[in-house]
Amino acid sequence: MTWFSRIFSGQQAPGQALTARQQQLIAGWQHLPEADLRRSHYRCRYVVVDVEATGSNVTSDRLCSIAALALVDGQIDFNDAFQLLLADVEQGVDSAPSPAEQPTPEPTVAGPSVEPLIDFLQFVGKAPLVAYNAPFVARMIDDALAEHLGIKLGLPWIDLAWVLPDLFRDANDAQGGLDGWLAHFGVDSIDRHNALSDAFASAQLLQITIAYAARKGFDTPASLHALEKARRHLHQSG
Amino acid sequence: MSNSATEILVSACIRFLQAYPPFDRMEGEALRFLAEHVRLAHYPRSALILSSEMGVARALYIMQRGRVRVKAGAGLAHSEHSPTNLGPGQCFAIAALMAQRPTSSAYTAAEDVFCYELPASDFFTLTQKSTVFNLFCTQYIADLLKQSQQQLQLQLAQRAGEQRTMNSPLASIVKREPVAVGLAASIRQVVELMAASHLGSMVIVDDLQQPVGIFTLSDVLKRIVLPGTSLDQPISTVMSPVLQTLPMAANAHDAALAMAMHGIRHVLAVDEGGRLKGVISERDLFKLQGAGLRQIRHAIDAASSLEVLQHARADVRQLSLTMLTEGVGAQEITQFISTLNDTVTRRIIELNLDRHDLYGIDWAWLSFGSEGRDEQTFTTDQDNGIVYICTDIMDRELTQLRFLEFARDVNADLDQCGFPLCKGNIMASNPDLCLTLEEWEERFARWVRTPEPQALLNATIFFDFRPLYGRFNLAHRLRLSLLRQTRGNPLFLRMLAQNALAVSPPLGRIRDFVTGSDPDHPGTIDLKKYGVRLFTDAARVFALAHDVEATNTVQRLKRAAAVMNISSDDLAASLEGFNFIQLLRLRHQHFEQEHGRAGDNLIRPEELNEIERRILKEAFRQARKLQARLKLDYQL
Repeated sequence: MTWFSRIFSGQQAPGQALTARQQQLIAGWQHLPEADLRRSHYRCRYVVVDVEATGSNVTSDRLCSIAALALVDGQIDFNDAFQLLLADVEQGVDSAPSPAEQPTPEPTVAGPSVEPLIDFLQFVGKAPLVAYNAPFVARMIDDALAEHLGIKLGLPWIDLAWVLPDLFRDANDAQGGLDGWLAHFGVDSIDRHNALSDAFASAQLLQITIAYAARKGFDTPASLHALEKARRHLHQSG
Repeated sequence: MSNSATEILVSACIRFLQAYPPFDRMEGEALRFLAEHVRLAHYPRSALILSSEMGVARALYIMQRGRVRVKAGAGLAHSEHSPTNLGPGQCFAIAALMAQRPTSSAYTAAEDVFCYELPASDFFTLTQKSTVFNLFCTQYIADLLKQSQQQLQLQLAQRAGEQRTMNSPLASIVKREPVAVGLAASIRQVVELMAASHLGSMVIVDDLQQPVGIFTLSDVLKRIVLPGTSLDQPISTVMSPVLQTLPMAANAHDAALAMAMHGIRHVLAVDEGGRLKGVISERDLFKLQGAGLRQIRHAIDAASSLEVLQHARADVRQLSLTMLTEGVGAQEITQFISTLNDTVTRRIIELNLDRHDLYGIDWAWLSFGSEGRDEQTFTTDQDNGIVYICTDIMDRELTQLRFLEFARDVNADLDQCGFPLCKGNIMASNPDLCLTLEEWEERFARWVRTPEPQALLNATIFFDFRPLYGRFNLAHRLRLSLLRQTRGNPLFLRMLAQNALAVSPPLGRIRDFVTGSDPDHPGTIDLKKYGVRLFTDAARVFALAHDVEATNTVQRLKRAAAVMNISSDDLAASLEGFNFIQLLRLRHQHFEQEHGRAGDNLIRPEELNEIERRILKEAFRQARKLQARLKLDYQL
């Protein structure tokens, strides 16, 4: 139950030693108007996110980097991209890549991570978030935000891992995970397993997704979100 | 924001672009600018990416992945005949962007497509930042023009090919449903129907729809009006019986044969049951042969009077104008005009030979200047002369008198047929240009030996001589002796080169073009003096220096290039440039003549569209390259 306690400790002890300016920036973000999810895919801003962690276990592994790319009006602009490396775990990743050997790090005072995370909030705004394997990515980010900033993101997530098989039912690549989909659509990766590279590849998958979703009548972020929820429900109940 | 992310993505984009031309040669800074300003867009399979309906092109598209199908638009002369499929690394909408107009082709995603898109404003910045890219765009547009011209010529050739065939089955000639009436119809009904439907003839069929008779307009006069036949009588009383029908599978040749055998002007085509399917008239067959080149040529060859030749000459002009509007290339048109003008001239000479006895003398009719180079445009005057052999020196004067009389008549007849007399008196009737072979050789040798200004000017006209009629070997001998003279005289070639360099291409340092050269016509460029002549003058020096016998500029450049180590790319570029200027000239002359003015060679660059201006600039650059070669070769 370590993850459980960690969340609570994070939420109850909101960001140690945040400066007044930092608190002001966070408040500013919190007061941003919600995004209108009923606009067309091609008239809104999505943010595609990927993370790198010390491993794939949400309970024990730690976040090392976040990469995010905006898809604005259906297009990717390289200037609208973001990446942050969390300073406190960076060395850990470099020197000991195997998560098994690594002792669970103690939650540390988040001094160096605060500013980049605030930058991340500002980059995201209130845009709907997209990731491949969203629960994992969301958890990693939520944990970090709770721990260092003492806040919840509270934005809708769309999981490409659920949406893609629904839109492309005859594709056999669903089994192959992200790699399978990238191969299916011939999307090249700059540097697979690098968070930014994977976010860029996912953003291209999102471009494909919205194009074909729109043809089937799912032409807004809200409808895409609903599509994903319905499928998840179907599978989990069945 | 974190720029490390942007940096990684931009670098990846640069790496992608570097795999394709022209980005592989592009300056580093410009390439970075490009990668920083593109946006990646996706188009699902079968989505329309860009078409003329979308208005003025707003972005440059660089294919990143997938395949785009291109469908050429309806506009022919300047449409983008790019390859029909585009793949990664290829760009589109360049021509539309440059001209700031809608694209003329439609671009559809043949499969899922990812495209880098560069907004128009950044595109123009890039053309300024990168000379490589700028050159690429200009070249791209020049290629488009070339492709569209080739396509047009191909189409024209196909059409001509279709026209000429007399093997086409009647089924393909019959264009409309036959109009027929029953035997019981009255004359009045038939004539009214013919008048209403603009028919020249009417077929009368029986109850089984089998043709039994035919009634034509000419019958109205002979069988109805003159005899005073009542219009209420049945048509069967005045029709001609059907002598011959042909199955639909018979060909045009069979129809022509049937007409000739029976002396009829209409042939009826029927199906297996003998039912009427169509009427083929003499005119249909005539059209099939095409009132094109062959007819005109035939008419010229058979002409027995000036009047007929005048018509033929008008036909030549009309046909070449049609060719121009149909987009045939300049080289083909000028050669076509020259060829048919040659035919007219030959026929005039032949007609005059009937009245002048030149029997027993070896002689040839020579043409000079643009006609000598096979490069005539719509406005052309006479430039001709005579060379003959005089075996006995005592007879020389008398022989010349006979030739001069003959030449005067030919010159006058040519004038009648649309070749105005030469203002500079460069005509065979001028005693200075009606000379024996030895005299011509002597004269040429003198010009080569003492290249004073007048001699050099003469060289530019007379050294482009070509035989038109008579003993062609005389001209050949004259050519060989001229080449012997020039080959061994570097001083003359140097002077001729210097003369060729007296006029430079009207390219401006600041503005695109220099248009102030002629004070009487500000804002214009004389495409003859400052365009075509730059090429012909350079080609002449190349030819005389390298033993090239041809007089045609394109031929001269081609042959000389082979011995001068000019690469085939450079050669092709020069020829493109030359032909483009010729085309502009032809189009301009056509326009002028359409508006009742004598065609000059003065064009206003500002009236050209953006693409044409760019190509014209490129053409002038090609002229400059030829001149640079002259400077290099003769240390000028």
